[in-house]
Amino acid sequence: MIPIVRVTNLTKSFSRGSEKIQVLDNLVLEVPKGQFLALMGPSGSGKTTLLNLIAGLDSPTSGSIVVGDQEIGAMSESQLARWRTRHVGFIFQFYHLLPVLTAYENVELPLLLLPLSASERKRQVLTALDLVGLSDRMSHRPGQLSGGQQQRVGIARAMVTDPDLIVADEPTGDLDSKSAEEILNLLVELKRSLEKTIIMVTHDPKAALYAERVLHLEKGRLVQEVFNPPSPRLAGSIA
Amino acid sequence: MHPTFIMLAFTALLLVVVAVVVPRLGWIGKLLARYNARNIMVRWPITLMLLAAFTLQVGIVVVMLSFVRGLQNLTAGSSVPGNVLVLSEGSTDELFSNLGYRDVSDVERHPLVMRDSDDPDGKPLASWEVYVVVNQPLPLPIIHGRRLGCRFGEESLKLTLVEAGGPLARAGVKPGDSLSSWAGIPLNSLEDIRLLMAGKQAGVIDIGYVRNGAQLSGSLNLDNLINLERSRRFLQVRGIDDPARSLKVHNLKLVTGELFCQAGVRAYGEGDQRRTAVEAVLGEGIARTLGSDINKTSLEPGDMFSLGDSAQPFIVAGVMGSSGSTFDSEIWSKHSLVGRKFGKDSYSTIVLRAAGPIEAEELAKDLTNNFKKAALKAQTETEYYSSLNQTNQQFLYAILFVAVVVGIGGVLGLMNTMFAAISQRIKDIGVLRILGYSGPQVMLAFLFEALLLAVLGGLLGCAAGAIGDGCTANSIISSGAGGGKSVVLRMTVDTPILLAGMATALTMGLLGGLLPAINATFIRPLEALR
Amino acid sequence: MFWEQLDGSLLPLVRTPGATLQVTIYEFLIAFVVLGGLAIIPQSLFYLGFILRNLWRNKIRTALTGFATIVLVLVVTLVWTVLVFLANVTSEKANNLKAIVTERWQIPSQMPYSYAARLTEGAPREPGDVRIDPANDAMTWAFFGGTLDPQNRTRENSLFFFVMEPDRFLTMMDGIDEMSPTDVERIRAAIAVMEKDVTQVMVGHDKLVAMGKKVGESMKISGLNYQGIDMECTICCELPEGRYGQAAVMPRERLNRALDEYERKNRKAHPLAAKCLNLVWLRVPDTKAFQQVERQITTSAEFKSPAVKIETASSGVAGFLDAYKDMLWGLQWILVPFILATMSLIIAMAISISVRERRKEIAVLKVLGFRPGQILILVLGEALMVGGICGIIGSAGTIAYFNLYLGGFKFPIAFFPAFLIPNEALWWGPAIGLGTALIGSLTPSLSACNIRVSEVFSRIS
Repeated sequence: MIPIVRVTNLTKSFSRGSEKIQVLDNLVLEVPKGQFLALMGPSGSGKTTLLNLIAGLDSPTSGSIVVGDQEIGAMSESQLARWRTRHVGFIFQFYHLLPVLTAYENVELPLLLLPLSASERKRQVLTALDLVGLSDRMSHRPGQLSGGQQQRVGIARAMVTDPDLIVADEPTGDLDSKSAEEILNLLVELKRSLEKTIIMVTHDPKAALYAERVLHLEKGRLVQEVFNPPSPRLAGSIA
Repeated sequence: MHPTFIMLAFTALLLVVVAVVVPRLGWIGKLLARYNARNIMVRWPITLMLLAAFTLQVGIVVVMLSFVRGLQNLTAGSSVPGNVLVLSEGSTDELFSNLGYRDVSDVERHPLVMRDSDDPDGKPLASWEVYVVVNQPLPLPIIHGRRLGCRFGEESLKLTLVEAGGPLARAGVKPGDSLSSWAGIPLNSLEDIRLLMAGKQAGVIDIGYVRNGAQLSGSLNLDNLINLERSRRFLQVRGIDDPARSLKVHNLKLVTGELFCQAGVRAYGEGDQRRTAVEAVLGEGIARTLGSDINKTSLEPGDMFSLGDSAQPFIVAGVMGSSGSTFDSEIWSKHSLVGRKFGKDSYSTIVLRAAGPIEAEELAKDLTNNFKKAALKAQTETEYYSSLNQTNQQFLYAILFVAVVVGIGGVLGLMNTMFAAISQRIKDIGVLRILGYSGPQVMLAFLFEALLLAVLGGLLGCAAGAIGDGCTANSIISSGAGGGKSVVLRMTVDTPILLAGMATALTMGLLGGLLPAINATFIRPLEALR
Repeated sequence: MFWEQLDGSLLPLVRTPGATLQVTIYEFLIAFVVLGGLAIIPQSLFYLGFILRNLWRNKIRTALTGFATIVLVLVVTLVWTVLVFLANVTSEKANNLKAIVTERWQIPSQMPYSYAARLTEGAPREPGDVRIDPANDAMTWAFFGGTLDPQNRTRENSLFFFVMEPDRFLTMMDGIDEMSPTDVERIRAAIAVMEKDVTQVMVGHDKLVAMGKKVGESMKISGLNYQGIDMECTICCELPEGRYGQAAVMPRERLNRALDEYERKNRKAHPLAAKCLNLVWLRVPDTKAFQQVERQITTSAEFKSPAVKIETASSGVAGFLDAYKDMLWGLQWILVPFILATMSLIIAMAISISVRERRKEIAVLKVLGFRPGQILILVLGEALMVGGICGIIGSAGTIAYFNLYLGGFKFPIAFFPAFLIPNEALWWGPAIGLGTALIGSLTPSLSACNIRVSEVFSRIS
């Protein structure tokens, strides 16, 4: 399979005062297209940093990150911003919807940065909302939606530009187990039907079971790699 | 450069900026605009306060400008483009000008002066004038030659006016109080005071008065009741030889009554009481002012009034339609009568009508340079009255100062609000940035929010300021170098002033919004979401 | 140049009451007592620290609000300076009052100089009449406007002389007590020079700068109101900035000689020769004396053509200011209230925002056992602290900047050269600041007291 993400010798360090903290240490990783990958590890292991780097939210100290056919490690901030709009969709733990905008408008936000006509935009927003099953709630404000519903709006927003890659940082971290299950099933469904590549950071082993491949990080290194059987529902029932 | 023009140019510039920026935002603009507009509504208490502050500030600017515009209109409305105003050389104002009879009659024969087409002899269109300012004591009740320093209202013992520092004021009486007793004796009418004052004329007495139903008392020093001239006004009197021609030269018309006759006096009274009064034509403004002294809205033809120390009373012959010009505050009478009465037998001014503005300039130049019999200072009326705008210039500077300082207050208030709005929505900004919105796009969104508030505040402020439109106020105009005319001006709010108000609001919005908006671009998305 | 100045120039010469400093001391006493009272409130230091820390936490907001207060206090202080000054000069004084004698009916007032001798005595006729000491308690004024360049007259090259008895400058003019002792000594020396040599003149600092002249230099002045009279003058003294910054003084004798010379040369009297006395100042001990002098002058047969009038300086000014009545009313009742309301709103906004942002903290304080009143003190205290401190800075800064640096507030109402901000303005700032802060922060701080703990925490979870 063609890797959509190829990370080579990736190092990221922060300096806090005189102290230098090595968050990622010479990491190597390939993610094939259409894979649902979960990143796990204790806090401080560098999993979120890795996710942010792949998503182009942060720049590496050294090493290269190629997403699709582009080296994003060397891009400037504004190049990254433009690249993100087209190629990456984000799902956040706390949804981060703009409270004053309706579900529809929140989903529309990333599309506005693309050269689309109004009718194309409308079609895509409706498709995305349909996909997450919220067509009947599109004129609600985030405050009028439950946590699970808000996260589904978040997923629709991540999907709406039809990105190659979807990154999710603890997407179920703020949800009850029932809503969490629904969201994870939705992600699996997206992966399966639309062949999206999904990289998800989670600390919840149950959530990780939905992914096909789980990577464990510790102190900035990959320490373990697990391939799950391809039946999330089964995995769910086992748990 | 004219201040209005500067304001206009500024508004245009702002409009261009807006016109350039908004289309560039395009679709993003629409949604972000909705985003910002809704946030403004979410924090409505603060929005309301901000709008109120903007309204007040823009309102002040509009009101002050309308005052100046009133003055400008007045000077513009007084000049006739074809007219030339001739003074003696070196005089900065009509008051100091001195022209002899011969100078005046020579000057009017200049070939460039137009002839009166209605006149059989084709007399030149020239107005011979003497301008004097008379110091007029305000007519407060004088009882037995002594002034109480007050004015009584319709309810006979209720005071509508108490002269500040006057004898009654010193006794503690205020306007609105009613006098109730005099040296212990209850009062029923004004006539009682008259009688009581005839009895005791010196020393200190107790007086009683009623304020809001409460009985109060004070001591009145009768020694203070002498004929102090504390309140007075300056009346502007213009002695005219031929009122019909003068009106024609100044493009004025009578609204009621008639002109004063050749002799300038009119008989009144019957039999032994038959006397003569000096006829006068009044500007509408001064007719109203003098009318208020006798509880009328305006003096009408046939009404009498006194002027200065003239033993002879004055009688209103007619009223000129003079609103919007400096003549509104003037009293016109026969030159030969008022000149002598007020100590200036000569002429101060001659106003000549030329065929048009160009001829007027030519005439003025020729008179100033080539008239040999007397040294003259001739200028077009347009020029003369625009020199009177000096006062306006000074007012404008003062207004500019106040507007800037008060504007700084508004800018700072807006900055506070916008900084808070941004720090409250730091997560929103983080999300927008992660979704790929650029720093400048976010900045424009927040700048738009500030400008939206400014536009709303500006509109409200203009509306509030426009309430002052049409109010009348007294003021003085002068050329700064001396002279001056007291005038009644009508505050005027017109389009340039409203634009200036909006420009003030937008400037405040721009200045107050820019710094916080720029600040918003420095927000780092990842940190914002943490 | 002159009819405005004729009456207008009286204004800068009328003394502001000396009571101002006393007022300031009282105000400071009050402030002291208030601060003392603050110390008695239990844990006031704790509150103070808490308030200061909260203000420090949002430095930008505190700075912006404070700056707004300072700036608006500045405007109000300037407007009130004008209003208070005018109220002072137009309020009648009981003792040591000054009276002005002018022509009765006409403006400008022009009297023959022959009136001067009798008017300066107060025109006593009978035994028992009040006699004024003409050498000490009277002064005559004429106005002489001139320019350095009659062909191209500008504001800069024109100047305006008080033609008067030089020695009266220090005894009869006002505002002398505002000058420094060295200035007074300089002027005293110059007066001695002028009394010996009438060609010597004194010119105000600002005027000298505008004309580009220096002390010791000579200049040729062409008369503007006295057409055809040119004078060669030597500048012997510079009058300090402030009231007399734009003025000039020449000896009376100089004008008299110039008029005589004109008559000799032209074989006819100058048109203004019989009108060269513009006004006479008299100082009378009290109202009674004033009334007596008034009776003497108005009933005298000596002053009939033209007739004269006598009025107290304050009533003269009040009459003149009548034309500005509406504008002053507008300043007092529209501008100032608008500005005060704006200040309240700005403070209200700042406090509202703070309260909104700190809902959670306030809820925590309540959980910890703080009572609503204590929270009120905390929130109100912030507003009062900013308002009070910035008010003091605002008014003290205004006084310092305008009085010391600019030499007074140069406001174009009428013809005043400059307004000195009175010392009592020192308490206007804090009063305005505290007052507007109190009004502005009342609602937001009450809403802070009424924050419901349960609501706040339910929203967080």
